[in-house]
Formats: sequence, C-alpha cells, structure tokens
Amino acid sequence: MLPAAGEPAAGDSWGMLACLCTVLWHLPAVPALNRTGDPGPGPSIQKTYDLTRYLEHQLRSLAGTYLNYLGPPFNEPDFNPPRLGAETLPRATVDLEVWRSLNDRLRLTQNYEAYSHLLCYLRGLNRQAATAELRRSLAHFCTSLQGLLGSIAGVMAALGYPLPQPLPGTEPTWTPGPAHSDFLQKMDDFWLLKELQTWLWRSAKDFNRLKKKMQPPAAAVTLHLEAHGF
Amino acid sequence: MALFAVFQTTFLLALLSLRTYESEVLSEPLPLTPESLKVSVNSTCQCLHLQWTVHSLAYHQELKMVFQIQISRFKTSNVIWVENYSTTVKRNQVLHWSWESELPLECAAHFIRMRSMVDDARIPKPGFWSNWSSWEEADAQNMLGHDPLFVFPKDKLVEEGSNVTICYVSRIHQDNISCYLEGVQIYGEQLDRSVSAFELKNVSFIREKGTNVFCKVDQGGVLGGIVLFVSKVLEEPKDFSCETQDLKTLTCTWDPGSDTGLTKQPSQSYTLFESFSGKKTLCKHRNWCDWQVAQDSQETFNFTLLAENYLRKRSVSILFNLTQRVHPMTPYNLLPKNVGATKATMTWKVHSIGNNSTLLCQLELLAEGKVIQQSNVSIKVNGEYLLSELEPDTEYVARVRCAYTNHFWKWSELISQKFNTAEAAPSEAPDVWRNLKLVSGHPTPLSKVHANGKILFYNVIVENLDKPSRFEVLSIPAPASSTELTLDQCSYQIHVTAHNSVGPSPASVIVVSGDPGNEEVEKGRVNGTEDGFSVSWKPQSGDATGYVVEWCDGPQDLPCVLQWKNLGPNTTSTVIRSGAFRPGVRYNFRIYGISTRRMAHLLEKKAGYLEELAPSDNPQVVMSKLTSRSFTLSWKDYSTESQPGFIQGYHVYLKPKAGEQCHPAFEKTVLPEDSVCCKYTIDNPEQKTFVVENLQPESVYEFIVTPYTSVGEGPLDAFTKVTTLDEYSHTLIHIILPMIFCILIVMIICYLKSQWLKEKCYPDSPNPYKSSVLSLIKSKENPHLTIMYVNDCVPDAIEVINKPEGSKIQFLGTRKSPTETEFTKPAYLYLLPTEKNYSGPGPCICFENFTYNQAASDFASCGHFPVTPQAPRHQLGPLTSPENLLKALEQNYMNSLGEIPAGEANLNYVSQLASPTSGDKDSLPTNPPEPALCSEYKMQTAIPLGLASAPPSENSSLSSTTLLGQGEHCR
Repeated sequence: MLPAAGEPAAGDSWGMLACLCTVLWHLPAVPALNRTGDPGPGPSIQKTYDLTRYLEHQLRSLAGTYLNYLGPPFNEPDFNPPRLGAETLPRATVDLEVWRSLNDRLRLTQNYEAYSHLLCYLRGLNRQAATAELRRSLAHFCTSLQGLLGSIAGVMAALGYPLPQPLPGTEPTWTPGPAHSDFLQKMDDFWLLKELQTWLWRSAKDFNRLKKKMQPPAAAVTLHLEAHGF
Repeated sequence: MALFAVFQTTFLLALLSLRTYESEVLSEPLPLTPESLKVSVNSTCQCLHLQWTVHSLAYHQELKMVFQIQISRFKTSNVIWVENYSTTVKRNQVLHWSWESELPLECAAHFIRMRSMVDDARIPKPGFWSNWSSWEEADAQNMLGHDPLFVFPKDKLVEEGSNVTICYVSRIHQDNISCYLEGVQIYGEQLDRSVSAFELKNVSFIREKGTNVFCKVDQGGVLGGIVLFVSKVLEEPKDFSCETQDLKTLTCTWDPGSDTGLTKQPSQSYTLFESFSGKKTLCKHRNWCDWQVAQDSQETFNFTLLAENYLRKRSVSILFNLTQRVHPMTPYNLLPKNVGATKATMTWKVHSIGNNSTLLCQLELLAEGKVIQQSNVSIKVNGEYLLSELEPDTEYVARVRCAYTNHFWKWSELISQKFNTAEAAPSEAPDVWRNLKLVSGHPTPLSKVHANGKILFYNVIVENLDKPSRFEVLSIPAPASSTELTLDQCSYQIHVTAHNSVGPSPASVIVVSGDPGNEEVEKGRVNGTEDGFSVSWKPQSGDATGYVVEWCDGPQDLPCVLQWKNLGPNTTSTVIRSGAFRPGVRYNFRIYGISTRRMAHLLEKKAGYLEELAPSDNPQVVMSKLTSRSFTLSWKDYSTESQPGFIQGYHVYLKPKAGEQCHPAFEKTVLPEDSVCCKYTIDNPEQKTFVVENLQPESVYEFIVTPYTSVGEGPLDAFTKVTTLDEYSHTLIHIILPMIFCILIVMIICYLKSQWLKEKCYPDSPNPYKSSVLSLIKSKENPHLTIMYVNDCVPDAIEVINKPEGSKIQFLGTRKSPTETEFTKPAYLYLLPTEKNYSGPGPCICFENFTYNQAASDFASCGHFPVTPQAPRHQLGPLTSPENLLKALEQNYMNSLGEIPAGEANLNYVSQLASPTSGDKDSLPTNPPEPALCSEYKMQTAIPLGLASAPPSENSSLSSTTLLGQGEHCR
C-alpha cells in the first residue's frame, strides 16, 4: 500500500520525499478527509456497540436489585438452577463453530429477534414488580432496550438487510398461568435476566466484530505519518 | 295429626326391629350404611372433599344421623384422623364434608372410610353403628407430572405466626436431598421412602415476593421449590369516624394499619354497612369512604366497617347522630377592610350548612407569631369584626375558623390573612447618647428609636446655651443612627427628633457641657456572671433625673461600638447583658448621672470580665545589671489592662544550679515537667522589676516571669538562660577600661605628629626623570625627544575648572581675557590613553590654547577629540604599535597617580595642544563629548610627538596625528 514508507533510511531525503508523495497520493482515500462521501454504517455500528456496553453496565445494577427482591437462592452468586419452564426465552448460547459460520445478516437478525422477545418478557416483569423503585428501574431499562432494538434496526437498514417479520401467532406473551407456580416464575425471571446478560455480552462481541469489519483502512496511513515524524 | 305421628313411630320401630333382626340373623350390612362415597382433593386449600348418600333411607322424611369418618395416610392401617359428623339426612341427599390436611395432600395417599349411626331422639334405641364403607383412596400424586422432585404446598398463603408443613416427593429415590428455607437448610421427618415433611413453626413475613423454600439433590442439578406467602395479620381499623361538611355527604375515615402488600394477595378491602338503611358500599380507598345521606332526613347512623383479606375479616362499628358530626368547611375571602394605624376590620365568608344554621367563628390576631387577640363571632354567611388597639406600622396575621353552633364537633380548617397597619407619628423620643471623642468636645448623638412607621430622617437641633440665639439644624437621613458634631468650649443643648411619613417624634434632649468632664472618679471592679455584668453605683446626692451606663461591646483593641443603657433616678444597679460579651475580655463601664439640666456627669468607672482567664502570654523581660551574684529583671512595657483577667501579681521562677537550694525568699516548687524550681511571688501588679540576688558566680540560671490572675498563671514554656559573671571580672573592668582609653589617646597623638613630620621634612614630589615614559622614549632613540621643563615652556594660560572658588582660575602670560579674543571657548585634550576614560565627566586640569581655530575650540571644551576616520594610519609616524604605546602611557599614568597625594588622586594631566591642520573643518569631531569637570593643576608633562594616546579603535588614528602636530608646536 505504501511502497516508499517502510524502506527509507534516516537522513535519506529521497526516501522521505517518496514517502510524502505516497501519503499525498493516498490522502483522498482516507474517509475522515473525504467529507463529501456517505459515512456508511460505521458510526451506527459504533453507537450500537456503545449502547450494548451501556446496557450491560445497567443490567448489572438492575439484576442485583431484582434478584434480591426475589430472595435466596436466586440472589446467591453460585446459584445455577436447571432451566425449568424457561424454554420460551431465546437462548444466547450457541456453539462457537456455529456462531462463526453465521453471516452478518443472520447475526443481526438473531439479535433483533432475541431482544424483541426479551423486551416483551421484561415488560411483563415490570408489571409484576411490587415496589415503585423497581418498576422505575425496569421501565428505564426497557426504554434503553427499546433504543438498542432501534439501533440494531438502523444498522440492518444501513447494511441493506430487511428487518425480520414476526410470524403471526408467535408473539411472545407474558401469561403467568395458574399451573406455573410462583417458584417457577421466579426461575423464569432469573433466566430472563441471565439470558439478557448473555445476549448483551454476545451482541457486544457481534458489533465489535462488525465494527472491525466495516472499519476503513485509515489507521494504516495515520501510523505511517506518525512513524516519519511529519 | 297426633294419630299420624304415633303411626309413623310405630312403623319406624317395627322397621328397625326388623332390620336388626335381619342383621343379626343374616349378617347383612345395614341399609343405613353411607354409600356412593367419593373423595376429591382440593390442592388450593389442601382439603379432602367427601360426598356420599344414604340410599336406604327411603320414604323417611328426615333423620338425624352421625357419620364417623376415618382417614388413613399412606396405608389404611395408619389412621390419622377420626371424626364424627352429625347432620340431618334426607332420602337421596348428597352429603358433603371437608377435611383440611396439615400435610400437603400431594405428598401422601390418603384413605377414607365412614360409617353411620342414627342419632335421632324419635328412635328409642338407635345406638349402634353401621358397617364401614369401603376405603376410598385420595392420591394426588397421580396428578403430578414426570419431574424428579416436587415440593408442596405450592404458593400457599398463610398468616404470620402460623405453622406450615412442607413436604417433598422425590421420584429418584435418593437420600441426598436437602431442603432450604431462604437459603438456610432445614431438617424434617422422612415419612416415606420418597417423601419427607418439614414443619415450619411460627412463620414470619420476609418479603412481598414470598418466602422461598426449595429442595435439591446434592450435585444432581435437580431442584424443586415453592414460594410461601406469609401475610401479616389483618389489623382492625383504628380511629374509625364519620363527619359531614354539609349534612349531605358523610365522609368516614379510619387508620387501616399496615398492609402486607403481597404479590399473591391484593390489599385488604373495606366495606361500609349502615344497619338502619341496610345499605352497603365497597370503599375505593384504604382509609376513607364517602356515604351519601339519603333525602329522607335520616339522622341516626350505625356504620360497620368491614376489613377483609383472603385470610381474615375484621370489623368495627360506630353509632352517631348526623348533626353531631358537622365539620364546617374552611371559611374563605378573609380580607382586611379600612385598615388604620390602630384599627382594622376583617371580613370573611362561610359555606352555609343546611337552612338557617349558624356558625361560631373564632377570629385570632397574631403579631410575631403569637396570638394577641381572640374573638368569637356568630354568623350565618358573612362575617365581620373590628380589630382595635393595634400598633401602627405593624404586620399582623388574622386567622378565622368556624364550628357548627348547634353542636360543636370540630373547628374548620384555618384561613389566614396578613395585613399591615398604617403608620403614625413616632410616639417616643429617640434614645440619644453622646460619645465625647476629644476633650474639646465632639459629641456624637446616637439613637435607638422604636417608631410607628419607617423613620425617614432625624432632625438634630444644636442650641448654644452660652449664646442662646445660635441654632444649628441638621437633618440626618435614616438609617444612619449617629452623626458627628464639632463643638467649641461652650455648652450645647441637643434636641433630636425622629420623623416618619406622618410626623415627628417627641424630642430627646441632651446637654453637652463645655467642661471636658474628665475629672477623676472612683474606679472599681464589676463581676461578670452568665447573665451579664451586675453594675451598681452610689446614688447621686443631688437632683439626678436618671443614670446612663455606657460601655463598649468589643475588646479594647477594637474600635468601640458604643452601647448605653438609660436608667431611672431611683435605680442604683442594673445588669448589663449583651450577646457580644466574651470571656477573657476586659469591659469598661462608665456610669453617668443625668442632671435636671440633662447634663451628664461621670460618676464611676467599673471594669470587669465576664469570665477571667489565665494570662496567655508572658511579659517581655529585660535582664540588666548582671553581676556575679545578681541580675535585675524588668518588664516595664507589660500592660496589665489588656490581659484576659485582672493581673494580681507575678511569679518569678528561677531554676537553680544542680544541688543548689532556693533562697529563703523563694518557694520551692515542682514544674509540670517534674523539674524543681524556685518561685518568688510578686503580689503587686504594678511592680515590674525584680532583682535576683544571692546567686553563685559563673553559674547558669534559667528564669521566667509569668503574671497570674485569679484563674491561673501564664504559660511556663520559655525559660531564659543567664550566666552570672566571674567574681573578679568587674574589678578587672575597672582597671582595663581606663588603660585602653589612655592607650588610645597616645595613639591618636602619635598619628597626628607623624603626619606633620612627614609633610614638613619629606614632602612627596614627582620626579620626571623617574617616569617610565622616559625609558620608552630612550628605547626608540628619537633625537627629538627630551624632557620638557616647566621653565622652558611658556604657557598661554592655565585654567582650572569646576572649582567653586573662582580665585583659582588663572590666566597666565600673554593670555587675554576671554572677552577680548574671538576664541571664547577653551579647547582641551586629555592625555589619558583610552577613550573610555575620556568619556566620563571627571575632574581634570585643562590647558587652554587660543591658537586653535574657531571650529576646534568650539567643540573641545575640557574634553577629548574623538578623531574622524578620514585620517590615514601612516600619519602615526614612528609610533608603529599603538597598543604598546597605550600600555606604556597607562603605566605612566598609574605611576603618576601613585605619586600624588591621596586627596588629589582624581587629577588628570592635560597638555595644551594645537590642531596641526588649522581651519580644516573635516578633521573635527562631529560629536564631541561633554567637557569633563576640571580640578586644580598639579603638573604638566610634555609628551613627545607620536606618543600621544592611541585608542584601540579606528577613531584613534586622527587623534595620534593631532598629537604629533601639538608636540612640535609646544617645542
């Protein structure tokens, strides 16, 4: 990319000149300097990534409060119950090979669908909460999660992917039926928070990967500029 | 009818006899055995529900029977419950009975059977049981799914304090199942191979989301649990009462107590029943409920408030008459009307209650938050009341509340309104006092006025009593409360009036005497207490009209904030209080008597402390008169007035030499740091010197002087060391000092004599033959060079400049007066070699040569010629090396300096020189320096051509040339 940049010895004025010429030749390719062009999906991916990290942080605080509200053993750090009755929750865990084999569109679609479901369950959680403070925290988190959904939709639109359409009749509903005992309900709540946490972690990875993939090669030029002390 | 009854009884008995006979003979079951027994399980209430019929009871109308019910658990032989259930039975009637199990029914199979017995009074000997029905099994385990572990009861709601039995059913038949209540392991009883039960006693409320109980197979990943909802016991509503504001609507209120707020159970509901009307309403709120009074003018009400939740019901009742529960609404439109300086009318309105009812209203008037007036007014709709005896220009708050007149139940809420009364002329004379700043009299009237309005200004009329016609009127705008007047030695009467928007106040009069009034008066002390200073004085024998106590609020070293207190003629004591008084500060009080002429006479002076403190500093002690056995201590500058307490005296501490005893006048004492010290007490605070005697010669002593007050003494921190003198040193001093004096006298005389001898016998004279210039000249072997004798050279003139004595300026030989010649300005040249030396204006000797042309003489005035660069270097002649010449000249010059007396060392030798190119204006310096100041002539030496100064700059070339010409001229 920069044939003259790596070779010139110190004091070699011809080398320096060649390097300068090369840099000038490549300057129009630097997106930061190319003000007239479309910024592309990069900024929106970055924003989505940032929002994911923020939600991770927010969830840590919310989960602590909510699990205390459920009481022991749900708030115990090593509590790892079997996944009873929480099958309807979208699973974030996936085999690494499978995950690698997914393309960007599939990944984004899975993220979008998962958060759509999780948001619905979370709103049900909010309706059931007994304390006003907890309801406020949950409502705030729901708003943030809604923002993340919008952000993912924005990234998908920027990349030209269509939004997944929910199949009729598969809308997730929050119906704590009479057969569902309160203990199992608490287990579901626990798993909801746990899946949310795993999904956010996975999304952060997905968006970081996507961000790197979409990143233009501007950093290399900058590095050379610094290396030659311009 | 009676006949029918007898017939019926006879038939029954006959039938029963027949049945008995049959049972005994045929061993057949009795026809009254319960039949069609069905058992069902209700998991919600953990109940077994039984239903059965007695088919054999045909054609009988009713029969009272007893059913004995047996319940077994796990197996039929394990009977856990037997109960007799009595009821009246009809033919084909389905009977019901329920039993609540402590152990959750899902955990164990239950078996039920029953038998019956006629227990009817109409049958004489009915007392035998029927056969047992067959065992019926109630097994809820069949309804369970395929999970490996179940915990029961699911989501049970219990009251706080109750006992709950929990069980689990394991399908994996493992022993390592442990159960936890809120994370804490619990231990129970194994009922079966796969069933264990745990009894929780006296359960308590933990959280709204329920108490968690769960069981798990250790390291098996199998988990089952339940949530136990513990509700607080429903409280009885407290403070239940009803009242009306308008006789149309009743509002009942109560205190509902605490609400558990379980997610499993809604909040308790409240229902209001009225027994007379039979109506009821479900309340929408937890603590109040509205009840519409019917139009049929019901007066008496009997209300029952029923509180209930899933577990309990509580109720409370009240009975009252409607007119005795009237709580009027808050009055409105409370407004002041016709507000004057001392009066105001308040008006307000009330909401009417029924027809022609009256309200009793209470009007309160508050000033500064306190109720000062209270009045009751009976009104129907409009209220009005005249408030009087108000203070002018004062803010008041009026407030009104009303109650039902027919039967007092409660006051309404208050309504308040602020208002301000109008201003009036000040009613009191301003409180005026003066502060005499100087002896000649500068009274400063100060005033503290409580006025009936905002004071706009003060009028001060100063009347000269000695010259009655002379008045001076001053107007001082508020809020200033003092002014300064300059008065002479006459007596003055000062009238001060305060003015607001309405008018002036009465005048306050004081008289300032021409007498400075600094007479000596009695000085005393006054004791301070927590309340202040209690100042008392002797009553004035004359006609005192009052007394004034005057003091400054701040410490003595701060500017005085003058305070005073006026007191009546019969008062001889008062307590002075001030928030500004501080402990450890001396306050001076002056007591004045006021005469009938309003003149103040100083009676007494008092000083005191609110609380005396120990001195914080020690005096600066000066030690003097140190001898071998004594020294004197003095602290004259120590002021006893500005100390934090009355100084009662001083302690002089002296640390003696090791092993030395204290002098008898001293007292031996131990200091806080455990060192032994000798202490002398001076009990006179004005004695500020002390002689420490009886000391050992050549010994080190340490001392400190510290004042003491009634509270304590000053800090004992910095001792001063002193070493006593040798015993004989003072004797030696008496001898040595005169000897040194005599030697000095002799030395001075000798010095004066030596100067005189030297000047008389061996005067210093410079010898030209010894000059170093000569050696230089000889080395060049210039035949033209020789020594110039003074006698050989005919000088034109010698002028000595810058001597104030004009007589020293001399004109020698044929020199004409400066006024007679056209060369009015003398030309001078330095012989000094460097330009640097020339430039500074220094004293020099100048030789004036009037043969110089006009141009040269114009610029050379006792200075040197800066040479022009046009002169060629070759004109230097034999002087080939200007640097060598320069060194030689410098050396010569320095030698000459060394030979002249010290007082004349700043003299310079200057030769008279002529310009070789007379009239050549080009060679003139274009920027001559300022002439140097000249001094007296000492000697001049002829300089050979070519040896003139050669400055190291290029400019020096021309200077050398001119010197050559000058040398020829001189010879």
